[in-house]
Amino acid sequence: MATANPTMFQASDLNHHNERVQKRYRLLFGLMTLLLITPVLLILGTLVVKGGGAISWEFLLTAPTDGMRTGGLFPALLGTIWLVTVALLLSVPIGIFAAIYLSEYAGDNWFTRTINLAIINLAGVPSIVHALFGLGAFVLFFKFGTSILAASLTLAVMTMPVVIVATRESLQAVPQAFREACWNMGATRWQTIRRVVLPNSITGILTGVILEVSRTAGETAPIMFTGAVFFTPFLPQSVFDQTMALSLHLFVTATQVPGIADEVPFGVALVLIGLVLTMNSVSIAFRMWLRGKKKW
Amino acid sequence: MNNQQTAALMHPIPRYAIDSRKLNLWYGTFQALYDVDLSIREGLITSMIGPSGCGKSTFLRSVNRINERLGYVRIEGSVHVMNENIYDPQVELVQVRKQVGMVFQRPNPLPISIRDNILFSHRLHAKGGGEVAQGTPDEIVEQSLRQVLLWDKVKDQLKRKATELSLEEQQKLCIARLLPVKPKVLLMDEPCSALDPKGTEAVEELLWELRGQYTILIVTHNMAQARRASEECVFMLMGKVVEHALTEEMFVTPKHRETADYIEGRYG
Repeated sequence: MATANPTMFQASDLNHHNERVQKRYRLLFGLMTLLLITPVLLILGTLVVKGGGAISWEFLLTAPTDGMRTGGLFPALLGTIWLVTVALLLSVPIGIFAAIYLSEYAGDNWFTRTINLAIINLAGVPSIVHALFGLGAFVLFFKFGTSILAASLTLAVMTMPVVIVATRESLQAVPQAFREACWNMGATRWQTIRRVVLPNSITGILTGVILEVSRTAGETAPIMFTGAVFFTPFLPQSVFDQTMALSLHLFVTATQVPGIADEVPFGVALVLIGLVLTMNSVSIAFRMWLRGKKKW
Repeated sequence: MNNQQTAALMHPIPRYAIDSRKLNLWYGTFQALYDVDLSIREGLITSMIGPSGCGKSTFLRSVNRINERLGYVRIEGSVHVMNENIYDPQVELVQVRKQVGMVFQRPNPLPISIRDNILFSHRLHAKGGGEVAQGTPDEIVEQSLRQVLLWDKVKDQLKRKATELSLEEQQKLCIARLLPVKPKVLLMDEPCSALDPKGTEAVEELLWELRGQYTILIVTHNMAQARRASEECVFMLMGKVVEHALTEEMFVTPKHRETADYIEGRYG
């Protein structure tokens, strides 16, 4: 059957114009996304091409020799694992507990607003300032000396705001209705947190921890005055020892060692990134496992 | 003379499950309740009707003291539940919440399994004194779900997450999870307003099932529902109780002009 007015549903010039404009914007946003991932690909590509040749079991598992020109980076790899682990052990519990207090217990008053402001500011402090703070506080005042403990404490202070903010945000993403349902059945705050709020926010909290791991492993400034050294022939035996670290080792091999093969610093960088990616993958796998197990 | 004897003298048969005296309530400077004296009979279903903002929900929320959570609420007067003043300073809120269960407009099951939802409250209160359902967890779950006419539907999926149920089933579950701690009073704040007509009918049917075992106080905007699903009815206006009567009497021969006008839909 013929329609009464066949032109009624035809596109007008304005429709065509709007469609063209919208396509242009889609292209713009798409290009920006490409631009965004380009450096990531370039960095990884460069590292693999230039440093891939350096990677071997010997490189990973032996100490540097000949003034760091040859040999491996084992002490630095082990040192970074020490630093990150101790820093996480310190900052994750404190950060999560503080975030629970701020999100679940503290009221909205000038005191908590001040604390929140302080946390945001703490997150914005440059890492070199944290380094000097760590030197003054942990190395000198508390007399830990340049040690893993002092360096990890510095890293912990620096990364705690990230944990707090991430934890608080995932706690607050749990709908208020769940809390009220619990309270109305006579649950205390802690019972509510333990049985409903934490199980529902654990994946978000883990994300915060993952972020922190990557940041902690890569930081150089906070550890170079507080616990990491250019070179030591000894592996750390306790948290009171000094240690080498990957990030500092990268800096040293890239700038301080004349006549070193090009592929060594690239290899160090590749190992550092590989370590971070491995830690992140494990955490993400753990997160997915938790999510699947608990059905939320 | 102990409290109970005094109370027995003050309240001869019929017994009142909820009894408010000169209850005044302010949200900041706004007064929401004016001298509310309401005696809700034990074991009956009593509905509360009135236009939005008349104070019916506020009254409901004063009976398990969740209004106070807002912080800027001031309350004068008393509310007795089973002859004990729940505003007495000695009263433990956790016990109030156990004895007086609340069902909300929007079903709010916890994001855990159906089974864990039913047992949640029981686990909180089982060792805390006061009467709770006896039996193994499985028995308690079955019993509670049977009481809300949900057992046959969900008996094979007790591990399923409760938030995946339909709204009607969620609301029934929210009622069921109150039962294992043997509350005396069930408060329901427009429990059917998020449900479709079929769900509404099912929940009303459930109310009749629970009648007699629990005192049910239900706030509703739906006058037909008040008429169908309650034995006594309270009409409130501007924070005051206008009329409290048997439901059939109120809807057939209201004593006050305001009640008649509201029932006939001249304002709302």
